[in-house]
Amino acid sequence: MDAMVGIRKPVLQVADLRISYGARTVLSELGLTISEGEIFGLLGPNGAGKTSLIRTICGRVKLQSGRISISGQSNTKRAAIRCIGLVPQEIALYQHLTVQENLMVFGRLSGLSHKQTDLALPFAMSATKLESRANDYVHALSGGWKRRVNIAAAILHQPRLLILDEPTVGVDIDARNTLHEVIRGLSRNGLAVLLATHDLDQAQTLCTNVGFLRNGVIAPSGPPAQLLEEAFGTQREVLVELRAPALIRTQQVLRRIGFVEHPTGMEWRLMIDATAQKQTELTRALHRTDLEIKEVRFRAPGLDSLFSQITGSDRLP
Amino acid sequence: MIAAMLKVMVLGVCRDRGALAMAFVLPPLIFVVFAAIFSGTSGTEMRLKVAVVDEVRSDETTRLMDAIANEPSLRMHALANQSQQSLREAVAYGNADVGLIIAGALTQDGEQSPIVIVADAGRSMAGPILSGHVQRLIASQLPGVALRRLIPSVDMLSGGLTSQQRAQLISSTDEMNTADNSKSITVGESGAGLFRMEVLDGRGNVTVSYYAGAVAVMFLLFSAMQGAASLIEERSSGIMDRLAVGAAGTDVVVASKFLFLTLQGLLQVGLIFVIAWIVYDVALLPHLMPWLATTVFASAAAAGLALFMASACTSRQQANTISSFLVLVASAVGGSMVPRFMMPPWLQDIGWLTPNAWAIEAYQGALWRGENTWALLTFLWPLALVAVVSLLCAFALSRYRLRLG
Repeated sequence: MDAMVGIRKPVLQVADLRISYGARTVLSELGLTISEGEIFGLLGPNGAGKTSLIRTICGRVKLQSGRISISGQSNTKRAAIRCIGLVPQEIALYQHLTVQENLMVFGRLSGLSHKQTDLALPFAMSATKLESRANDYVHALSGGWKRRVNIAAAILHQPRLLILDEPTVGVDIDARNTLHEVIRGLSRNGLAVLLATHDLDQAQTLCTNVGFLRNGVIAPSGPPAQLLEEAFGTQREVLVELRAPALIRTQQVLRRIGFVEHPTGMEWRLMIDATAQKQTELTRALHRTDLEIKEVRFRAPGLDSLFSQITGSDRLP
Repeated sequence: MIAAMLKVMVLGVCRDRGALAMAFVLPPLIFVVFAAIFSGTSGTEMRLKVAVVDEVRSDETTRLMDAIANEPSLRMHALANQSQQSLREAVAYGNADVGLIIAGALTQDGEQSPIVIVADAGRSMAGPILSGHVQRLIASQLPGVALRRLIPSVDMLSGGLTSQQRAQLISSTDEMNTADNSKSITVGESGAGLFRMEVLDGRGNVTVSYYAGAVAVMFLLFSAMQGAASLIEERSSGIMDRLAVGAAGTDVVVASKFLFLTLQGLLQVGLIFVIAWIVYDVALLPHLMPWLATTVFASAAAAGLALFMASACTSRQQANTISSFLVLVASAVGGSMVPRFMMPPWLQDIGWLTPNAWAIEAYQGALWRGENTWALLTFLWPLALVAVVSLLCAFALSRYRLRLG
């Protein structure tokens, strides 16, 4: 893959995409562009249409209306589809084969010759830092290592676009960070990455751009920092962590003030203008209530706050 | 607490259609099928298909022919021409279960028995069964014949009959034959020399060659079903999703599995027959090509069916349940457990819907009757058809399932 120099060429271009299942419109006039070296985080609640969008890009759902091109070619062409590397959410590997054997198999199945696969193997192993585990059986690997092999199997044919569906599900923090490094490394080599995730922290730390898929369109989209700046400006987020759930009466009061409840019921959040005086006043006021407070924290709002604001949910994801 | 756990179990079964079918539908269904098969082998439902040649064409033999034709536990097989050779061919090729030649007058004395029963060694028990039926028919429909055949013995034991006594006896037995007899008599001494049994020999050990083929087909189906289930795992593990965007697509996966299962079947059946050859002297080497052709076609049919099944099922558990049921029933009805000629005719007809029946016939043709590959095509083309059609269905279903996600 070419190193990134100068203007980044678009790899995936989606325009006016419309997908309906019967009377239900899933994607409506959707537009999306992902360029070389870009990591685009596709965010959205369950059922928003992320899977439909990915399946349409991969050519598995018939294009009903609109245009999709991959590296300048329509995705209805087989050659364009071959420019895609797909990393499914599941560990899509043969458990009874070693890492190297898996990669050999998937190299051949992705259309590479024996010789090409032999040449691609060191690249994929190195990009995913798998060299030390080449001869280990996949079933013997931990979740994080399996996730790396999952990615390696998708980049053997050196795709232009890498689609990752929840690539870090079920892995610990260290493994997640390593996977982030792997993905960043691939993007530095010019690969365009489409990352579908529910992990908003991951999207914020890993993605160069994110887009919220809701009501069939991606809006808003852009770099995470820019989106947060536009949405919240100088506001800070208050996180109130409780030892016990709030009483119903207190919950009603908190909601009236504008607090949003975490699904566990043990955490409440609120956006406020970030003056030091206000922070102090709020902390005092909270401690005067009947809430069993464990901790009150102030932080810069993240994508989870934005997600909550966009979806209009009174609960965070 | 026990009630709560009980509720979980009950709801688990009620809401799992596969488990529900496995628990309450399959057992009685399998019982019905097996009862029909195994009761048929020993009960009144067994109806042998008999080829008959009457070379005498006397009143007596015509009456016997009519009696055989009207006997409910026998079925007549019409021969192209009324010759002994044609009858032997019909028996040897399995078109008739057993043959009966009336070669002399039923009342004739002498060393040669007038009735020859021709049975294939592979269905040798059909001979005694037919002779039992015919003895009963003679006893009930032509009792005079049986008695007439006792005259020489009476003559010898009594120290010699006068010519008048002899004539009277003959006249009485003739009257018995023509009278409308409602009473039957028992004939002893194996029809008093009435029958001669002729067993058509093939090559090697017929019982072992039959069961080698029968068992081989059953295990071909079982192992192919097991192997093809990996298709379901590949679908659920996301491997198919990955391959769908690659050069391979699902067709390559299905096609390569078909090839693997066919080769695996070839080896499996090969092992069974090598043991049959070494230990039981089954004539494998002289008929290697027809055997190989049969094995390839049978393995391909099993592989195709298994892949079709795996493509149609949504989970491995579902595939296991359905395939176990189908393989057991197909093996029972198709003759892998009991030779089909021992089953009631309606089950024999159903048996042709299974690959087992065609493969077993082909193996019998190759190894017992010594037929060449060309002659075996009658049995091989249905296997080829099953392989091709089920493979195409597997291709289509796999693509469809991938689209459904």
